[in-house]
Amino acid sequence: MSMPRRAGGRAGHAPSLTGLAAERASGALLCDAGTVYLRDGQVVHAESPVAPGIEVLLTTGGRLTADNWREAVGRTGPDGGVGRFLVDSGRLSDAELEICHLGALFDAAYFALGHGSGPRGFQRGAAHWLGPVCAVGAVAVERETRRRGKLLDSLWPYPRVDTEPVVLRRPDGRAPAVTPRQRAVLALADGVRTPARIARELGRPAFHTLIDIRRLAAAGHVATPRPAGPERPGRPDPPARSGASAPPAADRGPAAAVFTDPDIDLLRRLRDALEATL
Amino acid sequence: MPGIDECLLEAMTVNGARGAAVIEWTSGLALGMVGEVRDEDPEATAAETAELARMAAEQRAFAALGAGGAKGGSDSGAGSGPDADDTDGEPAVEDIIVTTRTCYHLLRFVDTAFDSGVFCYLWLDRREANLALARMRLRDMCGRLALI
Repeated sequence: MSMPRRAGGRAGHAPSLTGLAAERASGALLCDAGTVYLRDGQVVHAESPVAPGIEVLLTTGGRLTADNWREAVGRTGPDGGVGRFLVDSGRLSDAELEICHLGALFDAAYFALGHGSGPRGFQRGAAHWLGPVCAVGAVAVERETRRRGKLLDSLWPYPRVDTEPVVLRRPDGRAPAVTPRQRAVLALADGVRTPARIARELGRPAFHTLIDIRRLAAAGHVATPRPAGPERPGRPDPPARSGASAPPAADRGPAAAVFTDPDIDLLRRLRDALEATL
Repeated sequence: MPGIDECLLEAMTVNGARGAAVIEWTSGLALGMVGEVRDEDPEATAAETAELARMAAEQRAFAALGAGGAKGGSDSGAGSGPDADDTDGEPAVEDIIVTTRTCYHLLRFVDTAFDSGVFCYLWLDRREANLALARMRLRDMCGRLALI
């Protein structure tokens, strides 16, 4: 798919993840929709306002209590090592910490490095309070970010469902059944909560929730927002974040672009919409 | 307490093991992989394997029976089923076994108390492996991954 605007960065001097990895840099790569932490050129963590942090993932599901978490943060000080403390104090196994950490890392990296978010600056020497857990090659992180974008587009190529409030919709009789995980998402879909907020309340990675939302939208269980302007499939909007700059309107394609790739689901839903107005 | 890599290296000590991985079935991401690779794109293979796990985990055909699960009125989709509570967490499916003429593929869901959606994958040479034994080894390893 198209992803032309990452490698070179913007304005000529913006740092790139691959460039920083090549010089084995350590620090925080500040992006529009998140931060990617490097240590000796390897990605050691990522954060995004869209993606629930590791503390949300571990405490919402009940794996750790808020007290456990406060204790770990209080005992380790500002220079990190919270992850190590949780394992050494017997709260988590190494594998649990690694599984949760890697899940949170790739989740946040998808938003920080994905379409619509670019690097803005690099804070050399900055380290994350979690401390070292796992390190992943920058190339692997970028490849996974691209794979995730393609996966979402293959499910339902309407990226606005990722950022808009989730609105329930009455599906037609042939819509695929809702899975237990999707049911939990639907239970929070009140027309106000966005997918990011639903993910946070469920204690799930945001990307996993986007997969469910796109599937639910494709099946007609939740509404696909009408494009405010014309929407171009395969070109997601930037994740919602205060301060993130919206793409210029001139960047959008012509109105007909919405219908360049009709499929059975879309046609069926169009039929339903027409019948509903009769 | 073992980490992902230790678990994978242990999996490779199972008789006939050719490869092992820890994969998120929810996203298709491989968190760790060891052993032989079957093709140039092991990550795509992991994602395909995750798709099989997802189908098994989410299809109602394999949902746990009992506890009032097998009622007549199937839920009509968007309505939030009142009996969603105990199917809401980890999948009811424990493991998935695929046999081919030359290989066994074992997938075992890992029970974590946070929303991980992770399974262990073990790929075995059929000539050397003992399927029943390998399944028990994998079950024990997955049990040791999480502290619960």
